[in-house]
Amino acid sequence: MRPHAGAAVSRRRFLSLSAGGAVAGAAALSGCAMRVSSAVGGSGETVTVMAKADDFSPELIKQAQKDIGVKINTVLYSTSKLIAMMTNGNPPDLVRGVGAVDAPYYAARGVMEDLDPYFAKSSVLGPADLDPVNDLWRYDGRTQGKGPRYGMAKDFSQDSMFWYNTALFDQADVDYPPELDPVTYEEWLDKAERLTRRKNGQTTVFGGSYNGVLTPSLLASLTVAAGGNLFTDDYARVDFTTPEARKALGWYIDYCRTKVGPSIIQPDPNTWDGPTFQANRLAMSNSGYWLGGLINADKKLAPLSRLAPAPYFEGGRRVSPCQAGTGFWIPSTSHHKDAAWRVFEWFFGEAPAKARASGGWGIPTLKSLRPLMPAQEDYQKRVLTVQEAELKHYSVIAFTPYATADSLLALFNQIAPAAMNGHLSVDALAGRLNSAMNDQLKRGKEQVG
Amino acid sequence: MTVDQIPSVVDRRGSAPAAGSAASRPRTSIATRRHRAFYMFASPWIIGFALLTIAPMAYALWLSFTTFDGISPRWHYVGFGNYRELFSDAQTWKSLGRTGLFAITSVPLSIIAGLGLAVLVNRPLKARGLFRTLLYLPAVVPPVGAGIAFKQLFDQNSGAANGVLNLFGIDALGWLADPYARYVLIMTVLWTAGNIMIISLAGLQDIPREFLEAARIDGASAWRSFRSITVPLLSPVLLFQTVTGVIASVQTIMPLLLAPDPTPAGITALPQSTYLYMMHVFAEYFAFGRYGYASALLWVLFVLILVATGLIFKATSGVVFYNVDPEAKK
Repeated sequence: MRPHAGAAVSRRRFLSLSAGGAVAGAAALSGCAMRVSSAVGGSGETVTVMAKADDFSPELIKQAQKDIGVKINTVLYSTSKLIAMMTNGNPPDLVRGVGAVDAPYYAARGVMEDLDPYFAKSSVLGPADLDPVNDLWRYDGRTQGKGPRYGMAKDFSQDSMFWYNTALFDQADVDYPPELDPVTYEEWLDKAERLTRRKNGQTTVFGGSYNGVLTPSLLASLTVAAGGNLFTDDYARVDFTTPEARKALGWYIDYCRTKVGPSIIQPDPNTWDGPTFQANRLAMSNSGYWLGGLINADKKLAPLSRLAPAPYFEGGRRVSPCQAGTGFWIPSTSHHKDAAWRVFEWFFGEAPAKARASGGWGIPTLKSLRPLMPAQEDYQKRVLTVQEAELKHYSVIAFTPYATADSLLALFNQIAPAAMNGHLSVDALAGRLNSAMNDQLKRGKEQVG
Repeated sequence: MTVDQIPSVVDRRGSAPAAGSAASRPRTSIATRRHRAFYMFASPWIIGFALLTIAPMAYALWLSFTTFDGISPRWHYVGFGNYRELFSDAQTWKSLGRTGLFAITSVPLSIIAGLGLAVLVNRPLKARGLFRTLLYLPAVVPPVGAGIAFKQLFDQNSGAANGVLNLFGIDALGWLADPYARYVLIMTVLWTAGNIMIISLAGLQDIPREFLEAARIDGASAWRSFRSITVPLLSPVLLFQTVTGVIASVQTIMPLLLAPDPTPAGITALPQSTYLYMMHVFAEYFAFGRYGYASALLWVLFVLILVATGLIFKATSGVVFYNVDPEAKK
């Protein structure tokens, strides 16, 4: 905690500095010394953070005030509110974002602050300590994964990996997937069909869920797994008619058509896999490591649950991407960039980051925090073994900067159900998706230049 | 104070006050003062209307001539380009057609249901107040709560609706998918018929009892009395319900609350039968970020509502009877 330069030290300030010093001293003496940034200030300022309610709890806000002396004012995350705030010249200072799809979109429009100078000075977030997943937040004006850093992920998962419930496998007499070797996507679907249980027109057990984080990024990942690329080299167009993209699309439509898991034609009212998996109604869940946060907390479910590597396509590539990499970025028009960076540093590298790492809700994005991942129980050790082996297969799958993932998803939602219901061939669907999505991308390219 | 000291009307107008003050104060008529007072008292509403209605509408009108998407640096003026595109957008026409069908179905059904309930609870029943309260209660439930409840109730795999069907040996239905989703949507409208019931009840209680008693003495059946006395005398209320019902139904966002994923992109996964015009507007604004195009869609809807309201007034001018005291018109 640093006083403002030249400011007279009041009695209250003296006491708070003394208290801060005592806390810091105690932390150092306890042997868990926290690395604290000395590069950039911001103490005493108020930082407006646009986040979801879970990101910055009231307790965390109090802790920020105590740890770094920055007051945090939260605004609930909303794209339209973000645009309104930026348009009227009063942007938030830190904004939540999904690195895999938001970073190229916002960076291409010049609204994100280049954080390289901050990273260079930071003693908390050293570039060498950054997990490669943070490259999702890099953009060089053409390709995601290269160039300056515009943000950082708070934690991550390799989202094509899946959890499975051994009890449901046993009930259906289906073999478990191998521990470290991936199954093919076709094998995964076959297992899902055999695991599905139906009665009187109702699905009592879903064989497997495979929707990814956002369907467009899932389809991009599946296409890379099939050995191709959904986007053209300049990211200005999609092409679903290439053999690889056609294979990926065909597989996903098969998954939806067979109704082995939730999809837009068979929605899960819970809207996510957690409660359904916890209720023993979902045999396989395509959620990466982060679902372990929920599983670890359920003492009955945890010993039954196992993590498996991301499937692959025969003849394709073995990839295990992160489809989200949710984190924060600083708008280039922020009025409190230094203070925002101090919160950024604290949130991503200090006490909150350590708490997240030990909770099991995602892999920490600093390599140095990996030892904190839960590994007390046997089932946690088993999960860690699978996860550590999978990290070798991580790679950034770049997304287009010319459209939001939401807009491409909206188009997919409008066009694809006909194919999922068997009223449209996958080839015809590929053509329609090309037409609709390329119109959207063309408009986006014109707007960016 | 004596009577002479009370300022006369003339004084208050300022026409003949004490010498000297007439020159210093301008003459102000009663009408002018009344106008001033009216505008002073009405000014909060007028300012609010100008700032919160007229200004946003004008801003939306301006946006409707641009490609503004909120964030991209190269948005520009396109004249009537968005309006031209709107006429060739299949989703616009399809969603507009569904919205028209929804209005034509849901408005008469909800008025009939509301009127039926009003007639029932207007009868001298025991615990009539309790019935009125219970029937009105759904209208008090916040729409978000109602949406969540309906989604759970009609879920294919865990909803109570299919549980009941299974009891009778009937296989579960996909209530929230085509083609059943449209019926669930209509049910959500009928569920809040208590709102219409209250207004109809007020109308029923306003009908002079002498008319109904005279009809009974003349030997008219209950149905004949209802058809020839109650309905005509209730026609202004029914007209009001029709006009407001049509406006509300074309602007309904209820499908959003039934959406499996009520996010901007998620609502495009709605069953086709419930993808109404406002869903299309919502998707264009928030999923596609096309503020200009979506604003054009809203302006077209505004004009359509004006036209539809005018047509309703025109079509009903011969069948709506106002029970107005002729003396009051003088």
